[in-house]
Amino acid sequence: MSEDLNSQPWGAQDRFQAHFIVKTGGQIFDAEFLAKTKLKTKGHFATKKVAGVVWVGGNIGETLNSDSDLTNMMVKLPYKDAQIWIEPTRNGIRIHGSWKSSYEFGISKELFAVYDKVASHVKRALGSPPV
Amino acid sequence: MHDSEPDTFTQISKREEFCGLLEKIGVQAEVKQIDTDEVEKGDYYSKHFTNTPAMVTNHGCVKLRGSNIDIVQIIQKG
Repeated sequence: MSEDLNSQPWGAQDRFQAHFIVKTGGQIFDAEFLAKTKLKTKGHFATKKVAGVVWVGGNIGETLNSDSDLTNMMVKLPYKDAQIWIEPTRNGIRIHGSWKSSYEFGISKELFAVYDKVASHVKRALGSPPV
Repeated sequence: MHDSEPDTFTQISKREEFCGLLEKIGVQAEVKQIDTDEVEKGDYYSKHFTNTPAMVTNHGCVKLRGSNIDIVQIIQKG
């Protein structure tokens, strides 16, 4: 019997995500609230650093690109933390990062400030005043 | 076992752990009972991105106060 070289993992994996959600009260949005970061980097492997951030996607991406404070906050983040997605779902607009193992999974003050700033732009675009 | 390690530990859920981390950085947060918020009912992804997982596990939510973010949901892959 030959060994299965492409074995598939089964069940829950050691990969976690925290979704930071801005509720929409049942309103459904589509591509206008869809965006992800495209990072300009310098260095390789452990010394890889974020040099610039461009948001690609719908209208929200253009709004986020015009916020230089947000870009300045994001270039100070570790490379993995600066990868952010914005996705509209039925119950809210979700802002999340990449998958992390249980050891890496957490939140820093700087990362939370970035999520909160992104959420403030989402709220403003939804027509509610940001906090 | 190392001498500095405690003999006992308290088992806490992922959302309680994350709530603790948020409180540590000065964010007002409160753990919600699992499966009680509307965000846990629908789809967790828009499915527009190629990296959308096929199967996920919901670990519940943490409600935030004084922030632009209404709620945080903890999700595990698979």
